[in-house]
Amino acid sequence: MIKKIYLIGNPNVGKSVVFSRLTGVQVISSNYPGTTVEIAKGDLELDSHKVEVIDLPGTYSLDPTSKAEEVAVSLLKELPRDEFAVINIIDSTNLERNLLLTLQLIEEGLPVIVSMNMCDDAVHRGIHIDVAKLEQLLGVPVISTCAVTGSGIKSLIQRIKEIKPYSRNKLNHKERWLEIGKIVEEAQRLEHRHHNFREILEDASVRPVTGLIMAAVIVYLAFKFVRFLGEGIISNITDPIFFNFYQPLLEKLTFLWQESGFWFHLLIGDLINGKIDFKQSLGVLTTAPYIEFGMVLPYVVSFYFILSLLEDIGYLPRLAILLDNLLHRLGLHGYAVIPVLLGFGCNVPGILATRVLESKRERFIASTIISIGVPCIPLQAMIFGLLGQFGGFYVVGVYLVLFSLIVILGLILNRTLTGYSPEFLLEIPSYRFPPLSILLKKLYFRVKWFLIEALPIVFLGVLFINILFYFKLFDLVTGIFAPIIQGLFGLPKEAVVALAIGFLRKDVAVGMLMPLNLTANQLFIAVTLLAISFPCIATFVILAKELGFKALFKSSVIMIGISIVVGSFLNFVVFR
Amino acid sequence: MKKTSLLNIKANEKVRIIEILGGSNLEKRLMSMGAYKGKEIIKLSHIGLRGPVVIKVGRSILALGHGVAAKIIVEK
Repeated sequence: MIKKIYLIGNPNVGKSVVFSRLTGVQVISSNYPGTTVEIAKGDLELDSHKVEVIDLPGTYSLDPTSKAEEVAVSLLKELPRDEFAVINIIDSTNLERNLLLTLQLIEEGLPVIVSMNMCDDAVHRGIHIDVAKLEQLLGVPVISTCAVTGSGIKSLIQRIKEIKPYSRNKLNHKERWLEIGKIVEEAQRLEHRHHNFREILEDASVRPVTGLIMAAVIVYLAFKFVRFLGEGIISNITDPIFFNFYQPLLEKLTFLWQESGFWFHLLIGDLINGKIDFKQSLGVLTTAPYIEFGMVLPYVVSFYFILSLLEDIGYLPRLAILLDNLLHRLGLHGYAVIPVLLGFGCNVPGILATRVLESKRERFIASTIISIGVPCIPLQAMIFGLLGQFGGFYVVGVYLVLFSLIVILGLILNRTLTGYSPEFLLEIPSYRFPPLSILLKKLYFRVKWFLIEALPIVFLGVLFINILFYFKLFDLVTGIFAPIIQGLFGLPKEAVVALAIGFLRKDVAVGMLMPLNLTANQLFIAVTLLAISFPCIATFVILAKELGFKALFKSSVIMIGISIVVGSFLNFVVFR
Repeated sequence: MKKTSLLNIKANEKVRIIEILGGSNLEKRLMSMGAYKGKEIIKLSHIGLRGPVVIKVGRSILALGHGVAAKIIVEK
């Protein structure tokens, strides 16, 4: 009886999409190798009993050459062979390369069924595969599927029952490639066609001159669009709701309430000129929801929309090629661009994604760079909202400071850390254009994840802060750190609280700066410090888990040092 | 029949891999991605002076770091 089903296949063949189809469990999938860094598990109903389905990280062969591949291969040895089945997922547009793993699986005598995925894409590219013929040549069931639309999944499930271990002569690599050549020759027919527009774009993006031009245009447009969409949502949706509906409602409710009481202070906060001010009142029902829903959420939505689009099209690995040269000097290779970009959404998934990098050294450098130089989208949203009032110049300035920090820090870490960073070796996927529904589903999934992570901390955090304020417990902390904050960074001593809150959440921390009426220069220093000093608690936990406490300690020392240097430098040299 | 590393080949040239230097792990990795001794490949581009090399192997496109490309010996 089958207890488990393993999904195995080359990187980026759509294993995670098949997994979602089989189990209904939503996992993030993208068009680049290595999206699945954690093994996902779910259940499938098969003949009225539950079977566990496991989505393995992508692997090119059964001789593991990386950690992810090792994990995949070792799991296949856990159970006796009659208790599990293997679904080998193949990218139909690249039959030849995918068959290496297939043959190895069959040679090992594993119970295999082959899912020829992305079959619609293959047809678009003029690739015709005779599935019956392939089934006969391989000796195992072969089903044509298109996981994105769901076609073929039903027959895949039905034929899982047919699975039994097969046998085939063991070959060495060389013989295997010869065998594959013969199989492909017989089962695949290619239509002769001219280059289409997609292929011309694919080509142009990996050549030096056209590639750089494309990258510049795409990055610029992506940034513009994130701001355009974010601001659009704020001025057309969230601001009207807050100011025309929520504020009058709150004011009616509080009309008869005694203004100086404990609960009033907690929930509504201070009235500014007799009115609720969402940016300055600092209450659990006023500023807390405004920060999260009125300032941050619109940008979370717009950022993840663009990121998901670029991911699914398959552009990011091409950016990795172009940046390899620069990143090499920082002790990383081009592929580090993926965790860094994810880090711009939230540092937590960014640091998790450093698992695509092979060596410990690279992972340390990448994680440190992300937690210091890469501001998450909630922080960026607050920077746009607050610092943007003084002009775009200041916003660009913050990014320039952070970018220089990344480069300087990378150069230093690369020189001083022992060990070496491995070379870049990556498969570049073809462009794909996912249906909008898939994109929106991914967006929904990410926004939901953000809300679940952020909301409890934001509301409890603001509540907690207000209680401390009410009983004047912050005065002690403020007193201790005031000399540094005032003397070195030129900030008022109340900013101590905001910087400390940064450990909880960066967006709330910037929110705490709003009532202080800082000058543009002071605000610039404060938000830059928030970006580079300690990461928020969630990032801290993931850093400890991924790197270990020793590395976390090293990383923290670097953060504190850099914060003090940069804060004083900005205060004494730049804004003199 | 000139033997040289992948670095010294012009873009868009078709060449055959004859040797992969630098350890069996690299050879294994390239092999499993379809780039093995005797295979014909096309060099697509070379990004910058010390940047990566992009090649086409069968239907896949591979990006190789500068150091990896230096270890792949090919002939025209």
